[in-house]
Amino acid sequence: MNRPAISVDGLTRRFGRFVAVDGVSFEVSKGEIFGYLGANGAGKSTTIRMLCGLLRPSAGRAVVNGHDVVKHTWEVKRSIGYMSQKFSLYLDLTVQENLQFFAGAYGLRGQLLSQRLEHALELALLTDRRNVLTGALPGGIRQRLALASALLHQPPIVFLDEPTAGVSPDARRAFWRTIRQLAHEGTTLFVTTHTLDEAEHCHRVGLMAEGRLVALDTPAELKRRHVPGALFTLHPAGGRSKELLAKLRQLEGVLEAQPFGHRLHLRIAAERDEAWLASLLEQVGFGEVGFDRTEPTLEDVFLQVAKEGAAATEGR
Amino acid sequence: MKGFLTRVTAITVKEAAHILRDPRVMIFALVLPVLLLLLFGYAISFDVDHIPLVVVDQDQTNASRNLVESFTSGDLFEIKARRSTVDQVEPLFRSGLARAALVIPEEFTRRLAGGREPSVQLLLDGSDNNTATVALGYAGVVALEVSRRQMPTSLSREGAPISAQIRTFFNPGLRSSAFIVPGLTAVILTMIATMLTALTVSREIEQGSMEQLFTTPVSRLEIVVGKVCPYFLLGLVAVLLVLTAGVAMFSVPVAGSLWLLFGVSALFLLAMFIQGLFISVATRRQALASQLAFITTMLPALLLSGFVFPIDNMPWPLQFLARALPPSYFIHAIRAVLLRGNGVEAILRDSLAILLFFGVFLLLTVRRFRRALN
Ligand SMILES: Nc1ncnc2c1ncn2[C@@H]1O[C@H](COP(=O)(O)OP(=O)(O)O)[C@@H](O)[C@H]1O
Ligand SMILES: [Mg+2]
Repeated sequence: MNRPAISVDGLTRRFGRFVAVDGVSFEVSKGEIFGYLGANGAGKSTTIRMLCGLLRPSAGRAVVNGHDVVKHTWEVKRSIGYMSQKFSLYLDLTVQENLQFFAGAYGLRGQLLSQRLEHALELALLTDRRNVLTGALPGGIRQRLALASALLHQPPIVFLDEPTAGVSPDARRAFWRTIRQLAHEGTTLFVTTHTLDEAEHCHRVGLMAEGRLVALDTPAELKRRHVPGALFTLHPAGGRSKELLAKLRQLEGVLEAQPFGHRLHLRIAAERDEAWLASLLEQVGFGEVGFDRTEPTLEDVFLQVAKEGAAATEGR
Repeated sequence: MKGFLTRVTAITVKEAAHILRDPRVMIFALVLPVLLLLLFGYAISFDVDHIPLVVVDQDQTNASRNLVESFTSGDLFEIKARRSTVDQVEPLFRSGLARAALVIPEEFTRRLAGGREPSVQLLLDGSDNNTATVALGYAGVVALEVSRRQMPTSLSREGAPISAQIRTFFNPGLRSSAFIVPGLTAVILTMIATMLTALTVSREIEQGSMEQLFTTPVSRLEIVVGKVCPYFLLGLVAVLLVLTAGVAMFSVPVAGSLWLLFGVSALFLLAMFIQGLFISVATRRQALASQLAFITTMLPALLLSGFVFPIDNMPWPLQFLARALPPSYFIHAIRAVLLRGNGVEAILRDSLAILLFFGVFLLLTVRRFRRALN
């Protein structure tokens, strides 16, 4: 059976006259890491809260694990784990008390409970600190604990709302290793983030801007489509970069030229190559300028999409 | 059903951990009630004694001195001043130095000797209604006693000497503590019960953990039941403490069954807990919840319960309100058991009324919960 884990159609949420989520549609398949990317206020958390049955959609439909989030909220709740943006375990309880509580809330008891509890402690790397008050743990470890707690009942679908906000780079890498491992085991993960490099870990990325889903694809495809061509970083000698920039922008085959600190970012049509660029620079009297080929990042995609969006809005 | 128990137990255990870890809750639930009982019990005494008295003895004879003596031999009056004219009394009343004045006119002895009715004036400061009433009653008794002693002949004509007797049923010494302790028990239980639970849900909504909880298969009923359980146990301990302290320290007569007393207190506690939870769910904010809890529980428990003001004397809208809220039934029941020694039959109506309140608010709370997050 190949039913999608999450399927969303025209999902909309209004707060008064303000539209926080505006006609969003997408599908997430089983075992996928789905990244939901967008600036603060783009509507990421609002989408998640509708998918978890915490907030009623104003319009549209969402089906999670085969259950409609409005009509069968109960079944949805049994199929999901949720880690909210705001840390919401109890700071005045110990690690073990928190886990025990949520295990009980998920209806676990007896041997199954102790088994899952140990497993969660291992996952959070807190086996030997189970009796520490949660409030005494540093941020990164708290986030791991929150994740472990959301996984206690081994849900097929997990929603993580900015799980790595305020977490050190090391802890962040470890966190993503766990996420990939979970996906590998067949869990579907819906992860929101506003850091672009994290989105590279996702199988597919949806880009949210002002409540709308403006782009959705694999990171590679997003780059190919929105940032086509070859990217280069140029290293002009001090003082002459302005002149070079002006010249480059007038040339045929140059898609985009942007200053970037002392350097220049240049995007040229895909069929051109390094040799072509070298001769081009020679031609305009900048033969001595060195350059490297670079890969586009999702940041480039994001900027590009934002630009396209702004153009579309003006065009309307 | 097994799932229900598992989830309720999980919530109860968690809530108990919060309570045990927060000394403020324990102090609020166990120390404060006894402290309040002591404070209120001694401060709001309805017993009247040591009323400051000014004596205006214009007769200055043995007989008049005897009369003054009889007046002040008990604890009720205490001589604070002596003046020679009646005009000098009012300033003393105004300044609060005296609340009563005994005026013995010049011709007191002469009238007494002549067999004419001697008249004595007792002036009272009517601004303190309670004191005035008691003083007046007492003065009547004293006057009767004095006249009996001093005019045996005139009284013997009517037969046997009259001895004034005041007997109050159910509260032999007319000790106000017997009224205050049940009333205060109600006030204190109301306050701690609603304050404790008013905070628990609003705090979780504010902190965001309620949202987390709502993504689990825990139902609203399970949350409500799970949250009430540990507070209920704590409340029962508080009930025991307050009752024991009240009975021991104010020597309240316990006429009825202590079990019955405990049972009806437990029922009342439940009603107050659910009221607190309802406020918590309805307001969703801690600050507002605690204020509302205070207003909607303390005032009715103090003013609309029959503790201080008899309900039958209230204007009908207040009577209606008083009879819609549990404190009036609880005070009625606790007095019935504690002072009159009544059994279950006598408090059945009260218990049912409290139970009804509990049921209605349980429903309201669970229904209201649905919208608590959106
Ligand atoms: N309960 C609410 N009432 C009113 N406005 C809300 C509510 N929740 C979110 N919003 C608004 O909706 C927009 C999207 O919020 P959110 O989904 O939290 O964004 P994100 O998670 O992408 O940062 C924001 O402008 C926010 O202010
Ligand atoms: Mg958010």
